[in-house]
Amino acid sequence: MQVHLKVFRFNPEIDRKPRYDRFDVQAEPTERVLDLLEMVKNYNDGTLAFRRSCAHGVCGSDAMRINGRNALACKVLLKDLNTDQVTVEPLLGMRVIKDLIVDMEPFFAHYRSVMPYLVNDEPLPEDGKERLQSPQEQERFEDTTKCILCAACTTSCPSFWASENYVGPAAIVNAHRFIYDSRDRAGAKRLAVLNQRMGVWACRTAFNCSEACPRDIQITRAIAEVKEALNR
Amino acid sequence: MSAVNLEKRRSFDQIAWNAMRYSGVLLIFLAFGHVLLQDVIVGVHRIDLDYVAMRWANWGWRMYDLFLLAFAFAHGMNGVRQVLSDFVHQERHMRAVNVALLVVWLVVTLMGAAAIFGGVRPVQ
Repeated sequence: MQVHLKVFRFNPEIDRKPRYDRFDVQAEPTERVLDLLEMVKNYNDGTLAFRRSCAHGVCGSDAMRINGRNALACKVLLKDLNTDQVTVEPLLGMRVIKDLIVDMEPFFAHYRSVMPYLVNDEPLPEDGKERLQSPQEQERFEDTTKCILCAACTTSCPSFWASENYVGPAAIVNAHRFIYDSRDRAGAKRLAVLNQRMGVWACRTAFNCSEACPRDIQITRAIAEVKEALNR
Repeated sequence: MSAVNLEKRRSFDQIAWNAMRYSGVLLIFLAFGHVLLQDVIVGVHRIDLDYVAMRWANWGWRMYDLFLLAFAFAHGMNGVRQVLSDFVHQERHMRAVNVALLVVWLVVTLMGAAAIFGGVRPVQ
């Protein structure tokens, strides 16, 4: 099939304002948007800049706006777009470094602010090995372990568009993952970080995050559960 | 859940978020009750000063109207606060916005209370 690809271009070192470049690309319906970008970069314009790594929906590098919706370019098949017009743009709400590459540092700063690691200073169990938990205890936070930090959720959130100070869905998801972990002991500290205007209370329950998540995490539900933990 | 020793210190935004939910639930009953009485049972064309005087002869109805005004307006002002929160990024500016909205709510609610409790001319 012939695909009419429209790509957001911006190089702040040269360009005064962004533009859109158009490419006509021959591709199979079962190919992915990432394949289109690879074709353009390899055969049309080597200066096109975008992130990619594993190309199999695991690393989360190639999150971008595809026909207006946040998604991983490596997971979106052309046939699923139901059109031969494909527009690719960088994630919203973050500074564009070049073309489809955005500055992820504010996103990771919010991620770090919720202490996204297990905290437990209690003595090790007698066998000196694992801190055990039941399958039911693990199931409690299983969903939020699936996050790959692609930022598709946070950059689809209207509250984040309004203020980059909002901690964002991804950080809340990763806080949830440890707040509800029976082995963790730093839940109160994480909840204190999230119990602010720019914490969970800035969430307007728009559900954009849940829709954008390429791992199908029930993000809005996780945010609601963190609010519930604060109200307990 | 992890063994958290939550300090029971509630933040302002937490209280405001919860107030939005509670006032919303309360408004379902207050507003629907109001619509049912004024628009369905009585009918808007039969509402005049005499009707209001008759209704406010009962202190329960005066309290009902005051609650409706206070909660509906608080709910609305809380919504305005949330909208403004998207545009006001400095914390101290947001504090000023919160105080201003609270003062407006208080003044309008007190004016409404004065009108409700002041009443209208007696039933003829």
